[in-house]
Amino acid sequence: MRLFIWKDLIVILRDRSEIMVLLLMPFILIGILGFALGGILGGDSSEIDVQVALVAEDNTEEGTAQFLQELEEIELPDELHEEIAETARTLNPAKLLKEFLENEDLKEIVTVEEMKASEASRMLEAGELDAVLTLPEGFTYTSLQAMIWNEEISADVIVTLSENGSLYANIFADLIEGFVEVLNLESAIASAAGPEAAREGEPAETGGVIPIAQNEPVNSMQYYSIGMAVMFVLYVAGTIASKAYVEKHEQVYNRIILSGTHPAKYLSGKWMTGTLFSFLQMGILFTLSAFIFRTFSLDSINFWTGMVFITFVLALCIGSLTSLLTSISIRFESDAVSSIFSGGVVTLFAFAGGSFFPLAGMPQVIVEAGNWTPNGIAMTAYLLWLQGFEWTVLLPSLNRLLLLSAVLLAASVIIFPRRRSVTS
Amino acid sequence: MLETEELSKAFKGKTVVEGVSLYLEKGESVGLLGPNGAGKSTTISMISSLMKPTSGEVLLHGENVIKNPGKIRKVLGVVPQDIALYQELTAYENLKFFGRIYGLKGQMLTEKIKEVFSLVGLTDRQGDILNTFSGGMKRRVNIAAALLHDPEILIMDEPTVGIDPQSRSYILDMIRELNLQKGITVLYTSHYMEEVERLCDRVYIMDHGKIISSGTKEELKSILSGEETILMELDRAYPEMEKEFQQLDSIRQVIETEKGLKLISVKGSRLLSSLFQIADRHEAQVTNVNIQEPSLEDVFLHLTGRKLRD
Repeated sequence: MRLFIWKDLIVILRDRSEIMVLLLMPFILIGILGFALGGILGGDSSEIDVQVALVAEDNTEEGTAQFLQELEEIELPDELHEEIAETARTLNPAKLLKEFLENEDLKEIVTVEEMKASEASRMLEAGELDAVLTLPEGFTYTSLQAMIWNEEISADVIVTLSENGSLYANIFADLIEGFVEVLNLESAIASAAGPEAAREGEPAETGGVIPIAQNEPVNSMQYYSIGMAVMFVLYVAGTIASKAYVEKHEQVYNRIILSGTHPAKYLSGKWMTGTLFSFLQMGILFTLSAFIFRTFSLDSINFWTGMVFITFVLALCIGSLTSLLTSISIRFESDAVSSIFSGGVVTLFAFAGGSFFPLAGMPQVIVEAGNWTPNGIAMTAYLLWLQGFEWTVLLPSLNRLLLLSAVLLAASVIIFPRRRSVTS
Repeated sequence: MLETEELSKAFKGKTVVEGVSLYLEKGESVGLLGPNGAGKSTTISMISSLMKPTSGEVLLHGENVIKNPGKIRKVLGVVPQDIALYQELTAYENLKFFGRIYGLKGQMLTEKIKEVFSLVGLTDRQGDILNTFSGGMKRRVNIAAALLHDPEILIMDEPTVGIDPQSRSYILDMIRELNLQKGITVLYTSHYMEEVERLCDRVYIMDHGKIISSGTKEELKSILSGEETILMELDRAYPEMEKEFQQLDSIRQVIETEKGLKLISVKGSRLLSSLFQIADRHEAQVTNVNIQEPSLEDVFLHLTGRKLRD
């Protein structure tokens, strides 16, 4: 058996064009896609650093006092009068905004520093800031009116963006806009439910602009390292099957059979070569990606143990796929299947499996189809593991991969010519 | 030693080999001659157990081996028409692989590889990747791979296709040496008449899936013992003169060749003066005339009405 594996590995390793496809191309694509599409995934947020100056032109106490003074002049039952006054004293819109900016998730991408308007303006012009957030005079008073009386005015803040038009500055502007909308929405809720509801409003829940993931988010470099690895590992099966066809076509297979070698030994060799080569290919890609692109942490033994295990299960499945494609090529003496597989099916599998982009929002039928491709199943397992989920969460994916491996292997054994005579 | 009885093969209702019976005695060199598509490769595929016959038997020492191909595979060395080797491996790695699958290992394998490389004259190139070899050298390694397990019978399917004359000559000498000095029985298929004439003691001539004649070279040539061949080289074609030659009583066949005409005539008919007179009338420029004994090519032509490479 080792002899067949040695021979197949040497044949592939000495074929430069195959090595280009199996190792170099996915590595290049990881780099290109990871950098070009950086920022589209939640995990990329850690790379964002928005520098913001907070300029407070508003005086909170004065604004609250002004609101309370006007409240005195309104005729209301004493009990309600006192309750609204207490709410106004408790509600501090400027404080709410500061708490929002100091939210744990937002702190990772926004650095806020309070300063005077003149200094903020100078730093913005010098390009040292992405945005200036100004709480204008009367902000507290206007906000309280909007929140408590639900008046048609809105509690506005002024966001001045850098002239350089930084993408980060725009992100920040969107965040603030979201906050203000929530602030006004809460005022509406408060109006409908009474002052108690307004008091209980939590400013951190600002419309989901930053998704608060339960687990570690995945960044684009990690995503495409996985995506390209599970896509290009499929080419291993096509490559080995096409080599098997050459063996058959050029009568090398006949020579092997004439030596008395059992056909099952030949097929087992292909299965093991497919498994071993795909395991090595993915191992090399992940390791290079970790060292060169700093994709994965090199410190965690637990993390890498999991990666090795998932890779091993996927490699078994690719070995079975190799075996099936080889059986078809030998049985029908045609390289059409391996050519179609490498020329089109791999791309379709990669698309359905989510190698090019996350499948969220895609039609359910594509998502379902992807869940039955080796690459799609493995991708799910890898992403779950990257996000720090427990083994138990990964088990359904791994079991599905093993089931698929068994089915593919069984099909390959059934299709492979059993008789020791080569041609009927 | 090895014989076939009424061996036939049909693909999808079309018979490609029909009732082929032949035999090989130990130490013989037997040729299977026929044009492309005559059924030679199908016949040797059935003999070597790579293809199951539709009917008929393959007997090794009197035992039918169709249902038990292991016996014949042990004693056979097959040299296929294609280069059945790994182009990405070195010549040595190829032989090591095929030697190992034949069960050779260790010192015995090393010695055997050394021996066959010496035999095919490629000892100096054994470490080179096969892709870098010329067509002739690849053919020699192809033969070497079939000799590793010391086969008693060597079946060669057109082993010199597409190579230069020097390599062909080397290979033919090598096969003759294997046959004469090592006593290996050889079944050699070819559509090159001169190769079969040079190598083989006996010849089977195949056409359209059937054996149409067989015997020693002399026996086959005696079919044409009453004929002789006149090769007439001309400066160009003369169709009218050709027609006039055909009308001569002593002329059996007139065949156009690259350089002129080949005339099969009744032996001793003293035609030359008549031929020159006709040529003179047509103002044909005759550059050379040669009278030959009949060859196997002529026998094939006589039997089938067409040339081997038609």
